[in-house]
Amino acid sequence: MLRKRLMKRIALLLCLLMVFSVLGGCASKEQTTQQGTPAAGDTIKLGFLGALTGSVANYGIPGQKGMQMAIEELNAKGGILGKKVEGIYYDNKGESSEIANITTKYITVDKVSALVGDPCTGLTKVAADIAQKNKMVIFSAGATGAGVVEIGDYVFRNTLLDTVAAPAVVDWMINTKGWKNLAIITSLNNGYSTALTPIFKEAITEKGGNIVLEDNVNDGETDFTAQVTKLKNAGADALVFTGYYTEAALIMNEAQKKGLNIVMVGGDGLYGQDLAKLGGTAVQEKVIFYAGFSTDQPSPETAKFLEAYRAKFNEDPDMFSAQYYDAVMIIAKAMTDANSTDPSVYKEELVKLKDYPGVSGVTTFRADREPIKSPVCLLTVKGEKFPALLEKIPVQAK
Amino acid sequence: MFWEQLLNGLTLGSSYALIALGYTMVYGIVQLINFAHGEVYMFGAFVGLFLVTAGFNIFVALLGAMAFCMLLGMLIERVAYRPLRGKSSRLSALISAIGVSIFLSTLMVLYRGPNTTRYPEVLGGSTFQLGSLQVSTLQIIILLIAALLMVVLELAIKKTRVGKAMRACSQDLEASKLMGVNVNRIISLTFAVGSALAAAGGVMVGIYYNAVWPYMGTMAGLKAFAAAVLGGIGSVPGAMIGGLTLGVLEIMGIAYLSSSYKDAIAFAILILVLIIRPQGLVGQKLSKKV
Amino acid sequence: MFDAFLNQTIDAYYLRILIFIGINIILALGLNLITGVTGQLSMGHAGFMSLGAYTSAILSVQLEVPFALALLGGALVAAFFGFLIGIPTLRLEGDYLAMVTIGFAEIVRVFFLNFGPGGKAVGLSGIPQNTGFTVVWLLVLVVIVLNRQLLASRVGRSLYAIRENEIAAEACGVDTTRMKVLAFSVGSLLGGLGGGLYAHYMYYINPQDFGFMKSIELLNMVVLGGMGSIPGTIIGVVILTILPEMLRIVDEYRLLFYGALLVILMIFRPNGLLGDVRVYDIKKWWTQRGDRE
Repeated sequence: MLRKRLMKRIALLLCLLMVFSVLGGCASKEQTTQQGTPAAGDTIKLGFLGALTGSVANYGIPGQKGMQMAIEELNAKGGILGKKVEGIYYDNKGESSEIANITTKYITVDKVSALVGDPCTGLTKVAADIAQKNKMVIFSAGATGAGVVEIGDYVFRNTLLDTVAAPAVVDWMINTKGWKNLAIITSLNNGYSTALTPIFKEAITEKGGNIVLEDNVNDGETDFTAQVTKLKNAGADALVFTGYYTEAALIMNEAQKKGLNIVMVGGDGLYGQDLAKLGGTAVQEKVIFYAGFSTDQPSPETAKFLEAYRAKFNEDPDMFSAQYYDAVMIIAKAMTDANSTDPSVYKEELVKLKDYPGVSGVTTFRADREPIKSPVCLLTVKGEKFPALLEKIPVQAK
Repeated sequence: MFWEQLLNGLTLGSSYALIALGYTMVYGIVQLINFAHGEVYMFGAFVGLFLVTAGFNIFVALLGAMAFCMLLGMLIERVAYRPLRGKSSRLSALISAIGVSIFLSTLMVLYRGPNTTRYPEVLGGSTFQLGSLQVSTLQIIILLIAALLMVVLELAIKKTRVGKAMRACSQDLEASKLMGVNVNRIISLTFAVGSALAAAGGVMVGIYYNAVWPYMGTMAGLKAFAAAVLGGIGSVPGAMIGGLTLGVLEIMGIAYLSSSYKDAIAFAILILVLIIRPQGLVGQKLSKKV
Repeated sequence: MFDAFLNQTIDAYYLRILIFIGINIILALGLNLITGVTGQLSMGHAGFMSLGAYTSAILSVQLEVPFALALLGGALVAAFFGFLIGIPTLRLEGDYLAMVTIGFAEIVRVFFLNFGPGGKAVGLSGIPQNTGFTVVWLLVLVVIVLNRQLLASRVGRSLYAIRENEIAAEACGVDTTRMKVLAFSVGSLLGGLGGGLYAHYMYYINPQDFGFMKSIELLNMVVLGGMGSIPGTIIGVVILTILPEMLRIVDEYRLLFYGALLVILMIFRPNGLLGDVRVYDIKKWWTQRGDRE
């Protein structure tokens, strides 16, 4: 009886606690809103878009580090236009409803001056729609798919485009390596993958290759036995996989187990430390992917960045750290050139960017605001080193 | 290629079957869909990983994971289900189970991060030729372990006193109580046995596919539940048959129909089976009582 | 017009949450009719939502149909599939039915992953943002009133009777078959309506938005608030929509708390917060309280 009463009290207490946490949450948010109201204060706020947890956190976490570093360097040099720069970092978990909420919050509650991110195309589109409607500059550091900058004139990105890189890589496969018969596997529930597959397919047909097998997997699956068994019987010279690194490593594991020796080629979705960790010997020099960034044979800008990054985080930067870093720096340059932090003003300076020597390569914005970056780096896993540079293919802006 | 794909399907199916057994045993006794079961399977895989990484023999790791998950299963039952038993609808217990499931997978994410972890190769990756068929030793070992566990389970349920008590409880919980069966103990044991089997499945899947991740339980749990229902929920042989059938169907779907509609094919067949045989493949038809 | 006023006065972040609460109320009331009132466990409500969202979005984007018609189209397609799923329920019950609904939602998801006009896994973007606060909450009011009328009617009592004891209900002359199909159709109609509103609020939809976890989330709302109760469902929706936002403070531990709270709430309120409390119960309680004073 006594116990029951105790239980009831605990329950009541918990309910009260919940109500108060709800009310308390409201109240504390209200305060930040009021404090945040003077948008033209003495700090310039930049909102980070990216996942810090969840399945695409591997892109967001290094991105956040790159952004932090850029902001620190800017502040060390006196900030932008004499104002201190402040980064705000919410975790969007790689979910579209999350990023929509967070983007709205950055714009209306935190009053940021620019949004940096997201590394994924689908999520960037969600955020870009909201940013465009609110006349806020969004600068993606990784969205490679189609239909991003078309959303509006406040949307920018700094990344190696698949439509530029994939044909260059296919040309290298067919004409340099002589791999004519290709199998192609798509990750069906991955928007990046389903968008990349047609680009590869078109390039393969254009350059005179044959597609001998088309198959599908899903992100989050581990059983690829059926697909690999099919692949073994297809007689392909190489496999094009358009998905992410986790599934890539598991497919290669399965191939090794089934005694199939084949090279896998893919996009920068395969760029993740986990590729080497998960794949072990199965991916050694057998998985090749393209990216706009490599720590090998660095340009002077990249070398400086590498040194600072290693000193600060005690690890190597990847493409996302470099692109987030560049994104912040390019925004800072545009703000300085325009002498304004108003998105509708400094965006006019952004459009004019030409041959910007960033740490992630040389960037030029085309008339349609699409970036052309050169060169394309072909990367692979070699021994303990990830990623190891295989070759650099220069790209001409058409 | 057909035989190789069939073997692929049987291996996948045996992992479904091991998880489905836990669902079906618990369901048979308390009519609860234990949604946290997929997460128990995930914990089993991770505990196995820790033990193997710490240098233990794989069979020790397998037993260790099974023992750990036995305790975990009993703990879940004690904390999240027993307080609800008898005083609420089955749906509340279901929500509680979902709560546990979310809790456990988040716990693992916080501990290990959300990414996939590689399982060390512990049983070697050799293959041998059987006629025109290429068989990996791993597949054979996994099939053997799964078969052994299922035989042991079947014998335990049929021959031992506890097994008899379990069967009695699944027929009529109230009457068993009147006959002097310690119902709480039996339910707790059922959770323990089911969880141990799931852990075995988790460790084996980890070894076979070289990968474990915190969300692996969600889809596997869903598929295993489908397998249990396909076979006839509450029936132990049904779970085995359902698991193997679902595994083979899925692989054959990819091999000969379309990999893009893989899950849809598996579920469509499941729905058809249920419409034709509402009690599942080998389930018993019970007449409804008022 | 009212929306413009709101946009100026209320912070967009809170407005967004209010709109989500409205959409979720419509979705959850649909599921409540199937699971809460009639007792038919459906774990695939997101499938109906998905059908409504995609149908209405494609109608708007590709065919440029007016918003109201697009919403109606989405709701009707969802209702039609609800009707189709309702038929096998005549034979199945309990967890077998749950499995069929899960399977159905998965099939819908895989279908849209392969459906060209829906943009496959990339998703469908550029949907006009027609859903606003006024539209959502007007529809919520209409749905609540109609729902209340339905539950208070003879049909509503038959549905409750099926949940309590199907055989007894049949013996008392309830046409259980017709009633179950009716519950499924109306419930999925609301699911489709909610989906359409969701699509026209998010600009962008993706098959993965309507996965198994979404169905579970909706089921949580219905069961947590109290099965079969309109006020209960609304409370469930409000709590489970706001809770994750509040738990953002604890950030990475958010889902840990969420899971634990589900268990704790079920232990202390096994029948939901307002199990079977109906609108007129509250009214009665209110008037009695008034009398006493």
